[in-house]
This record gives sequence, structure tokens and C-alpha cells, in this order.
Amino acid sequence: MRQFVRRNSGELLLVGLIVLAAVWSSSLSPYFLDPVNLLSSATSFVIFALMAFGLYPVVVQGEIDISLPSTLAVGSVLLGKASVAGVPLALALPLVLAVCAGLGALNGYLVAAVGLPSLAVTLGTLGAYRGVAYIIAGDAGVVGITPEYTALGSTWIGIVPVSIVLVLAVAAGFALLMSATSFGRYSFAIGNNAAASRMGAVPVVRTRVVAYSLAGAMSGLAGLVWVAQYQSARGDNADGAILFVLTAVVLGGVSIKGGSGRVAGVLLSLILLATLQTGMQLANVPGTSQTLVIGCLLVVSLGVPRAIALFRGRRRTLAPVRTDPPHGPDDPTPAVLEKQRG
Amino acid sequence: MFPFARHRHRRARIATVLATAALAVVGCSSTPPQASAPPAGGGEAANSKIFMAPKFTGLAYFEVAKEGGEKAAQDLGIDFQYIGSDKPDATAQIATLTNAIPQRPAALVVSAIDGDAVAPALRQARQQGIKVVTYDADAAVDSRDLFVNQLSYELAASTMLDAALMNSPQGGKAAFISASPTAPNHTAHVRIMKQLIDTDPKYSSLSYVDTVQYAGDDAQKSQEIALNLMQANPDLKLIISSSAVSAPAAEQAIVNAGKSGQVFATGFALPSSVRDFIKNGNSAAFALWDPAELGYVATTAASQLAAGKITAAEGQEIDAGAAGKYTVGKDGEVQYNKPLMFTKDNIDSFSY
Amino acid sequence: MSASMTRATETTRRLRQASGATALRLRFLGVVLFLVLLGVVFTALSPRFLTIDNGRSILFSAAILAIAAAGQTLVVLTGNLDLSVGSIMGLSAYVIYDLAGDVPALGPWVVLLAVLVGAFLGLVNGLLVAVLGIPSIVATLGTLAIYRGFVSVYAEAREVTVGQLPSWIRSLATAVWGSVPAAVWLSVLVVILVGVVLQFTPWGRRVYAYGSNPEAARYFGLDSRTIVTGAYVGAGVIAALAGLLLGAQVGNINSLLANGIELQVLAAVVVGGVSIWGGSGSVFGAAIGAIVLATINNGLVLLSINEYYRLLFQGLAIVLAVGVDAIVQNRVRTATRRRRILEVGA
Repeated sequence: MRQFVRRNSGELLLVGLIVLAAVWSSSLSPYFLDPVNLLSSATSFVIFALMAFGLYPVVVQGEIDISLPSTLAVGSVLLGKASVAGVPLALALPLVLAVCAGLGALNGYLVAAVGLPSLAVTLGTLGAYRGVAYIIAGDAGVVGITPEYTALGSTWIGIVPVSIVLVLAVAAGFALLMSATSFGRYSFAIGNNAAASRMGAVPVVRTRVVAYSLAGAMSGLAGLVWVAQYQSARGDNADGAILFVLTAVVLGGVSIKGGSGRVAGVLLSLILLATLQTGMQLANVPGTSQTLVIGCLLVVSLGVPRAIALFRGRRRTLAPVRTDPPHGPDDPTPAVLEKQRG
Repeated sequence: MFPFARHRHRRARIATVLATAALAVVGCSSTPPQASAPPAGGGEAANSKIFMAPKFTGLAYFEVAKEGGEKAAQDLGIDFQYIGSDKPDATAQIATLTNAIPQRPAALVVSAIDGDAVAPALRQARQQGIKVVTYDADAAVDSRDLFVNQLSYELAASTMLDAALMNSPQGGKAAFISASPTAPNHTAHVRIMKQLIDTDPKYSSLSYVDTVQYAGDDAQKSQEIALNLMQANPDLKLIISSSAVSAPAAEQAIVNAGKSGQVFATGFALPSSVRDFIKNGNSAAFALWDPAELGYVATTAASQLAAGKITAAEGQEIDAGAAGKYTVGKDGEVQYNKPLMFTKDNIDSFSY
Repeated sequence: MSASMTRATETTRRLRQASGATALRLRFLGVVLFLVLLGVVFTALSPRFLTIDNGRSILFSAAILAIAAAGQTLVVLTGNLDLSVGSIMGLSAYVIYDLAGDVPALGPWVVLLAVLVGAFLGLVNGLLVAVLGIPSIVATLGTLAIYRGFVSVYAEAREVTVGQLPSWIRSLATAVWGSVPAAVWLSVLVVILVGVVLQFTPWGRRVYAYGSNPEAARYFGLDSRTIVTGAYVGAGVIAALAGLLLGAQVGNINSLLANGIELQVLAAVVVGGVSIWGGSGSVFGAAIGAIVLATINNGLVLLSINEYYRLLFQGLAIVLAVGVDAIVQNRVRTATRRRRILEVGA
């Protein structure tokens, strides 16, 4: 039992926080504890959840991708255009997902093969892909989307919206991917020590590119959910969403330096954020306070454990040591390594 | 989370997945489940509260409209709540509205950031018996009962052009700054302004730059664009914007650049934002309407609709007391149509 | 034996200094070349680009971004990020001008107040990152929300109107000294100041040392906490001052001032050749990066190009600049490695 607690301490803490948040939310508003309402409110978070799961392997590898909302926009606009043009969803969806995966692969290539810093690269593609989305969408965006495409947003299994089921399925898929495949093992290895991984014959470049492509594909899927839920598609879809997605991933216990973190953590943190936001909105707490609460939650949840450790004197483990950045400036770039290998 | 090795229990896992999928497909339905809360209907209890949801709560313009709504609620004896995120984010507004529905207000008064994206949520609200009235920025026509339009698009366009002519009676070249290409009112304004300049003899002295610039209601971006517009068009005389953030910001940019008197910014703005410009003579005129009265009319219309006193049919009359009487027009649009022109003579008489 | 060893270490040290300086100069050169390239392209496409008036316009638009980028450079050089820069700018502008409107006697103390506010907000950032060890991207993401939330709550949707601003600061925003706008002079001042601090003060050198190798810096006895916190406090002060200037320029201030500007600031820093891993890059490069961004905006309006393409071009420019920078870095690294090997062998 004690082993279980220790191994899952992060997740148990999140569960505890969720319970607290739920209690607080239900005290704020009598409408909170209705399961239908809860599930309906939860659908607002599906898009962020999908992007968070897509971001998760990338962060585990010690990188970052802030261009995901822009890829969502491209995906949603392409799907919108396809719908209006009468293309059947079965044909359009795989194509659009492939395009979005391609956008992600471009990020991955620049980061992994060319060796550019991921924050800078995805900062650039954040703007570039957003521009592409606007150009495709045109001025007014896309309206008149056919019911085939919006079905995902208006179908229920019992009282559970299908989009929520999708989130759970995706979460399970990622959990399996990271725990039971070589991709998962390689990802954690790279996140812990990229240089050593490379010398240990881990296919670093390929694993990185796959992670980024997967993130892109998830954003494309989120684009489908957007189109389904909101029945429209514009170039500015999900602009600025990355902050919330990043918050969800970090709150879920995934270390931003890479090498650790679990899907369950990300899922639980999403549930926590959803519980808090929904509770506050049902009680009509002013939006300004909502922002404050989320910001404080982030800082407190990461700062308090560290502060406690600090006071207990375990200072050495807390120094902001940037051990071997996943691929730092002094690592030979993959191109150089290839040449060396001959 | 899944500590087992790759090949163990594989058949069991596949079986579970298939079974769950089969159940899911069988259980699918496309009718939304009903919440267990008591349904709203007509009658006394339903009239008790109205929610006003602006685009976002951080803008002074919406704050003034809120005051009008609060006053209407007071006069009508109903509860009033002001809801929304403090950021201009469409997903946040949709979440706000989704969470407003279970609270069973009698009506929602909404200014939509993305008129199409909020439509599903608004339709859901209407399905549950909640009346939906949009103000300031419309949503999809079939998702709301009424739209209280501050100025018909034609009136808005001609008012801004009139303000332009007041600034520069000899006319001249004009450039347009809008909030975003997806804002239907701004795009309509620009389209009609271009039309009027092309066809109406009253505005024949004006010409325009065809490319519209977008500043996203951001003051700093509006300034940068205004500066660049002046550089790109040395003969520029006017910068016109429907955005209450961009119009005064552009004027400030003109003043900063020392071009006050050569170039003029105008359009819609709160009098408090442009009081100094008008008094100093940098600009001769800005336009707007009374946001408080707009809020008052919208809230009154929503309340009357919820109480069953009026319907959304064309020709119905809304009696907003001191704020006047209004008739419902085509497609549920109620035109408020009371533009105000702020000039040196009257700028001090406005408190907002 | 000892004599030749001393000579060897002496030469190696001089070589290392020289190659370090060369590296810096080369990084700087990359972004300047990029700017020149942009200039050539726009001049070819639009006759109105290469005029003094237009140049002044570009510099004016870039001024505030350059100031914010200078502050951000301090933090990025230590290997961290400050995502809260926009919220600090907005908070300082709104709160201070609101107070100044109520208490006109404040006058020039407004600047001191900004310094204090910025220092405090930066100190909080520094404590979270340097003392508590929260990764900077997370910590400043949190403070971004907290600081912005604070402004929103404080403002209650009211606007600070242009009439409330102290008149001397309003004239500062529009003043022109020797045919160059005051804002540009101020940005030059700030950039030079930060550059001087980084190059010639012991703390500045420690920033570079720590940023290039935090592990080694620790063994060397450098206290990461003072270095990183100092960087954040500096960035906070500069951001607050930039906020004051922006507020003075904009006139009517609402609680969303400078919302989202952190990405622009980061872009300027990155385009300017400052390494996101820390330890190398110059503040002058960051300033040029700001000018590059302003030039792109200006050029696209001059050419009447659709707004959408601006996003596309800016994004591509960032990726390109980072790519060029990486190539430059590589060349420098292999060059210095070769020279060092040769030297030790002799």
C-alpha cells in the first residue's frame, strides 16, 4: 500500500485536489453536481485535452511545441472547406490528419535533424501555420458545415458525449504508447539524457520526428472536434490556447525538462482544471478572478513542494541545474554525427 | 499505469476493447440528455433573472452597456448577472454560455465574439426555453431570437463617413482599420463605406485604400498600423475604424507622429477616450451611440420576450420606457439607430 | 617546462577570448545581414520604403519592443525565459498611470514607482525560478496569469484615459530630439546600458558564464541565485519602464495593454541571435531583432499585402533567423575546436 502511494504520489495529490475543487465548486453553485451539466461543460475542454496529450510525448523528450493551436486551426479550416466542398468525412479526415502530422513532422525535422532549439522553431511555426490557416480560411471563415462533420459534437452514448469518450480513448492510447512500446522507452531515454541515448543507439531523430508528427495529428483531430462542436472554422481558432495546454501538461506532473511524467497525471490535471473552471463559471465568478485562480494554482502546485523540500534542507537537489539539455549548443548536431559515423 | 509486458494478456485486452466499442456504438444517440434540474418555462419564476454576456468583461464600452442593463433590470424588478471571461477568447465565451444554461436564466443577452461558434450553445439554450437576444455583435440568425443592432450597417457606415467629412471637409484618401476579418459588423461597415464612397455624391470627395488592416482591438497594434499607413500613403487624410479601441489609438498615433491636422482618425469611440483629442482640436468628430441605452433596450427586450409580452415576429413593438419604442424588423433585427456625434460642442455632456 | 606551459595557457586564453568575441560578432552579423536583406527586398518592391521618414517610423515602432527585448535578453542569457513581460508592462502602465491620475503631485516620481513595481514583480519571478527551482517557462506562465489577473481585478474594466496621464510624459512620448523621436533615443539608451552592464561589469560576465554552463559555473563558485534573480529583477524593471512608455504612446489604457506581447519579445530576441539555451548572444542583436520585426510589419503595409501573410512571413523569418544562427554557431564551434587542438598539440 505504501509503495502504491509513493509511486503514485503525484497523481494521488491531483485526485485529492480534484475532490477539494469539486467540493468547493458545488458549494459555489447548486448546479455543479448534475452529471449531465458536468459532462456538457467538460466538452469545452476536449480540444485542450487532445492537444495536451499530443504535447505530452514531446515534453517527455525534453522539447516543446507551442505551434499546436495553429496546427489545429489549419486542420479545422481544411475540414471546413472539405465539408463545404462535399467531400465525405471518411476521405477528408485521414487526409487532413496526414497534413497536420506533416506540419508537426516539419517541426520535428527542424528540431531533431537540423538541431534548432524547439522553442524558437515552434515560435516561428506558430505564426507561420496560423498565417496559413488564415489564408486558407479567407476573410469570413467557413460556415455551412455539413451534419456529417458535426456529428461528433452532437452524439451521446447514454449521457456521455462522444467527444469525452474520444478523450478517454486517446488518453488510454497514449498511456499504452508510452509504457508498452519502444517509442515510449526511447522518449523517456531521450528526455533523461539525449547524448547518452544517441550513443546507446536510440534512434533520436526518428523518435523526435514521430513525437512531433503525433502532436500535429492530435491537433488535427482537435480541429475536427472544433468543427464538430462549433460548426464553423476560422483562421483564429484556438489562438492563444497553448498557455492552457501547457498549464495542463505541467500541472499533471510532467517535467518540462523531460524524462518523466504520466498520461494519468495529464488527464487528472485536465479534470482538475475543468472542475475549477466549470465551478467558477457556474457561480458566475468574474473572469478576472478565474485567471488569477488558475495562475495561482500553477505556481502553488509547483512551488509548495519545492519550498517544503527547501526548508527541510534538501537544497542540493533543488538547484536549477540544467544537466545536459536534451540537445544543448555543444552537442554535435545529428548531421555532424552522421558524418563522423562515416 | 500498465505495467504488464507487451504480449501478455493481449487477447484479453483486444476482447475488452472490441466489447466496449460494440457497446458504445449500440448506445449512440444524437439527442442530448436532459439535466435533472427543473425545466424553465413561462411564468413568474422564469422572469427572475437575465444574464448579460459581453464579448469580454475588460472593455469599458461593455461596462457602460452593463450599467444600462442593470438599470433595466432594476426597473423591471428582475435579477441581473454580468458574466464572461476577461479575455477576448471565443472558446472562453462559449464555455461561459454553456455554463450559463444550467442556471436557467430567463434570457441571455449576448455580444458574440465568433457569431458562428457560439451558435450551437445558443441554440441549446433556446431549446431549453431560454430566450436569446444579441446586442452589439450578432450571432447566427437561427441561434437567437432578437438582435438589437446599435446602428444598421448602412447607418453605421454613413455616420462614420459623416464624421470623416467633419474632420476633413475637403475629403481625401481614407484607410480602414477593423478589428478582425471575422467580425461581421466591421466587415459590413467597411463594405458599405466603400460602396457609399463609390456611389454616393455626398461622399464623392473621399477615396479609399482598398486593403483593410486588422488590429484585433489592440491599442499598440493599431498605432503601429496607423504609422505604417501614413508611411505607405503620403496623401492619406483619414483613418477610419469601427473599433472603439483602434479609432482613438490611431488618433494618438497621429498626434505622436506630429501629423495632427494633416491626418485625422475617426470612427466609433467612447467619448471619454477621445475627449482630449476633441478639446485640443486634433480631431473634429468621433461617433458612437449610447451603450447604456443599448444595454437597457436589449435587456428590456429580452425580459419582455421571456415574459411572453412580445414575440420575435416582424412588426412586434418593444416598449423600452424612457429609452423609446422599437419595432422588430426582418430576421429578428431591432434597429436602435440613435447615432451620436461627439464634437467640441457636446463632448463635455457625456459622462462615459 | 613551466615557461612553455605558461605561454601555452596564455595563448589559449587569448585565443578563447578572441574566438568568443568573434562568435559574438558573427552572431550579431547574422541578424544585421538579415535586416539588410529585408531592406533590399522591400526597397526593390516599394519606392517609399527607403526614405528617412519611413525609417524613423520603423525605429519608432521598434523602440518599445527593443526595450522589452533588452530586458528579456538578460533572462534568456541565463538560460531562462520571462513570459510575464507583457503582464508586467500592462500592470505597471495601468496601475501607475491610474495613481498618477488621482495624485497629480506624483510627477516625475512616476518613473521611480515603475522601477519599484518592476523590481518587485521581477523579484517574485526570480525567487520562483532561482530559489524554488521552478522551471522558468512554468513559473513565468503562472506569473503571467497572476499579474494580468491582478490588473484586471484592479481595473474593473475602467480605462485610464489619456487626460489622466502626467503631461510631461505625454510630451515625452511625442517629443522629437534632433529629428529622432524621443522614444528611439530612450530605447538606444536602454540597449546600450544593458550592453555595457553585460560586457563590462563582473555581474554581466557572470551572466554569460552561468548561461553557457551552469554546472561548471556552480563548481566555479558562482551563485546561481544572485545571477538569475538579478536578471529577472533587471528584466522586470526594464519591462515596467517599457510599459510606462507604451502607455504614454497609446494614451488610452485598458487592462489588456501589452497582452500577448511576450511572443513578439521572444521573437525579437531569438531573431536577434540570442541563444535560447543561454550563454551567448548580445543585446544589440536583440534590438536589431526588434527592428527586423518592425520592418516586416512596415514593409507589408507599404506593399498593401494581406494581414495573413504578415503572420506567415514573421514566422518564416523567425525560423530562418534561428537556422542561420545555428549554422553560424556550428562554424564557430568547429573553427575554435580545430584551433584549440592545434595549440595544445604544439
